[in-house]
Amino acid sequence: MSGMNMYLDPGSGSYLLQLLIAGLLGGLLLLRMYWAKVKGFFRKLFGKQVDEEPE
Amino acid sequence: MKSRSKAAREGASFRDPSGFVFYHEGAPFRQINQFYRDDYRQLIDSGLYQRLVAEKLLVAHEEVDLPAPVPQLAYQVIRPEPVAFLSYPYEWCFGQLKDAALLTLKAQELAVQRDMSLKDASAFNVQFLRGRPILIDSLSFERLKPGEPWIAYRQFCQHFLAPLALMARSDVRLGQWSRLSVDGVPLDLASRLLPWRTRLSFTLDVHIHLHARAQRRYAGEVVTERRGARVMGKPALLGLVSSLRAAVRGLSWEPTGTAWADYSETRDYSEGALAAKRATVEEFLRRIQPTTVWDLGANTGEFSRLASRRGALTLAFDYDLGAVELNYRQVKAGGEDNLLPLVQDLTNPSPGVGWSNRERRSLMERGPADAVMALAMIHHLAIANNVPLEMIGRFLAALGQWLIVEFVPKQDPQVRRLLANRADIFPDYHREGFERDFGLHYRIHKSQPLPDSDRCMYLMEALPR
Repeated sequence: MSGMNMYLDPGSGSYLLQLLIAGLLGGLLLLRMYWAKVKGFFRKLFGKQVDEEPE
Repeated sequence: MKSRSKAAREGASFRDPSGFVFYHEGAPFRQINQFYRDDYRQLIDSGLYQRLVAEKLLVAHEEVDLPAPVPQLAYQVIRPEPVAFLSYPYEWCFGQLKDAALLTLKAQELAVQRDMSLKDASAFNVQFLRGRPILIDSLSFERLKPGEPWIAYRQFCQHFLAPLALMARSDVRLGQWSRLSVDGVPLDLASRLLPWRTRLSFTLDVHIHLHARAQRRYAGEVVTERRGARVMGKPALLGLVSSLRAAVRGLSWEPTGTAWADYSETRDYSEGALAAKRATVEEFLRRIQPTTVWDLGANTGEFSRLASRRGALTLAFDYDLGAVELNYRQVKAGGEDNLLPLVQDLTNPSPGVGWSNRERRSLMERGPADAVMALAMIHHLAIANNVPLEMIGRFLAALGQWLIVEFVPKQDPQVRRLLANRADIFPDYHREGFERDFGLHYRIHKSQPLPDSDRCMYLMEALPR
């Protein structure tokens, strides 16, 4: 690990799992953003109000 | 480390070398160490701090000139906005833990966008301030190390996702696990306890079941040897947040069904008795003008609101998870800022837990309040739990100076139900016995019988100890 000042052990499994699925996570985020845009486009097209994603 | 000043160090603040919390003249302060200087500068200079405070995700602080308790390590002393009452995840209902989880993810998202990251995702870093969850640890943010995964991922899953999934998909009472284990629910345990069908949910499958398997598979491995050339960029970090958010949002719990069905406070009262009870509580509150009130056995908070609407910081305790859930939803919907519903079983109140029993304080250590309300509650302790009235009086007198209490006698339908299937071993359970035993710990200022019932309201003041 490069981060020498980590004060908690991230856990080997938790650390490696993220690296293994990093590409998938990034890809899914892109898909989700793309999908939100498509939905927004159609909502506008049909004159419906675009509701903000609640946090 | 020996501290030369008399500042008292917070018992929960020792793990992180970035700094620690101490108390000066009763107010909390935080020493920031040189160790954390560069991260702190980035937190402030990147605008992340301002954004988090503006969105009410992180408590505001100011830099002060107070001498540092451990000057050889110190970079800066800050005074964070104090939280009046510290509550813990095992005292929160499902909705409160879920909101705390979403808050943590939002903070991580904003941090990654500004080249920072949360280095811990402990549920204990969240507190409720003015009715809403907020992060209290200003030193939780570190500079992003390019290519590195989220260090706090495991902690987030243990502290938030696993208990939420267990509460929503197995049994809501499993939220109490965090009282046993201060570092959340171990993922292998969560994976075993969750029903098989949770594997069909992509997010729960990855973040709990697969996560638990990865922990077992790679236990004890040195990750530098294992990772190869793999890196985790910002899109993946943001994708992780987004995926965890989808997992959390997909979980819900409704307080319905037989066990949680009836929260009506009114079933054993006539219209007149209820109005008189309300008027009496209001009159007593007007007389004593409390700034903090603990309502014990608050149900969904109908009477707690008589105190909170007067401006008193009011804690509405109930052991029923469904009642606390419904109360919290009301607080959110109404934007109420000085009522905090919390889960508390008075026959076994929160103990001191964690290191030296001092990391998380017991309920009693977090008192006393100005006033305690115990409305239609005493019989649950005295009859259902066999606690002698004198001991109940002693306990309540330790929790607050004033007591607004309603005594429900044996002939009342509520108590009759409790005694329906058992021997009546309570010869002294009547008004005279109650007044005599509570009189050992309180001066009784006023008593007010309620019309159309045998119930009686009292205003009492604890005797000096």
